[in-house]
Amino acid sequence: MLNVRRLVLDLLKPHDPDVVTFAESVAGCEGVAGVNVVLMETDKEVQNVKMTIEGDSVPVDTVHDAVEDLGGTVHSIDEVVCGEVIVEESKTPQD
Amino acid sequence: MLSRLKRLLRALERDDVRSISRRYFISNGFDGALTSVGVAVGSYLSGVPDGLVVFKIGTGAAIGLGTSGVWSVWEIERAEKRAELKRIERAMLTDLDETQIERQKAGARQVNALMSGIGPVIGVVLPMLPFLLEGTLLGLRDATLVSIGVAVSILFVFGAYLADISEQNWIVAGARMGLAGIVVALLNLVLPG
Repeated sequence: MLNVRRLVLDLLKPHDPDVVTFAESVAGCEGVAGVNVVLMETDKEVQNVKMTIEGDSVPVDTVHDAVEDLGGTVHSIDEVVCGEVIVEESKTPQD
Repeated sequence: MLSRLKRLLRALERDDVRSISRRYFISNGFDGALTSVGVAVGSYLSGVPDGLVVFKIGTGAAIGLGTSGVWSVWEIERAEKRAELKRIERAMLTDLDETQIERQKAGARQVNALMSGIGPVIGVVLPMLPFLLEGTLLGLRDATLVSIGVAVSILFVFGAYLADISEQNWIVAGARMGLAGIVVALLNLVLPG
């Protein structure tokens, strides 16, 4: 099985713990080299965030567990990059 | 045991936990200090023969108030924090049992209850200590006066502390809280019984 190099998640989380705690917690997982969390939308009780995780071998299940332990839920996996090199999304005429 | 202690210390790092704990601690400590003034003056006026008896009565009051502080806050915070969790669960459309949020709230509840219980114990036991010196260094009347003095001092410290965190004049705030102890002592003197 090839290593996951990049994972982009659409998350729903409570206001507390804050995004810093989420980023720190996921960044602490083995195989994760860096994390970026962007606040997409904020509501009265919850926040919708986009989390980008990169590393040599991103442990998808461990990341899921870390997010769920903090009270977050993964709405969708919006992007996955696997393999030897990181391949960016390519533009097509339809774009 | 160590992990529980760590959880309590982690909970204490949170501003919201410190703020609620502080309220319970001061509020119940205030109750305890005023109760001790009532016990001291009431015991002296009703002719309790020695200081050890007054100390034992005070200890009984401290146990009662301390237990009340822990028990009531435990139940209050269980309900409040459960309600908060349910509200978040409804918004998240998910179960938050056994998540860090639930563990944090449990830790916060324990700290709140602990501080709520410590407040009245300090508020009662310290003012009762002069009665242990009755018969050796102090007479019963002197022990009663020193006890009131200790209780008023505790109330003053509570007031000064509250003034410190809210950037008020600590002397005025301390005096305002300390005055309550003197008022209770005077009420015990003038009211029948």
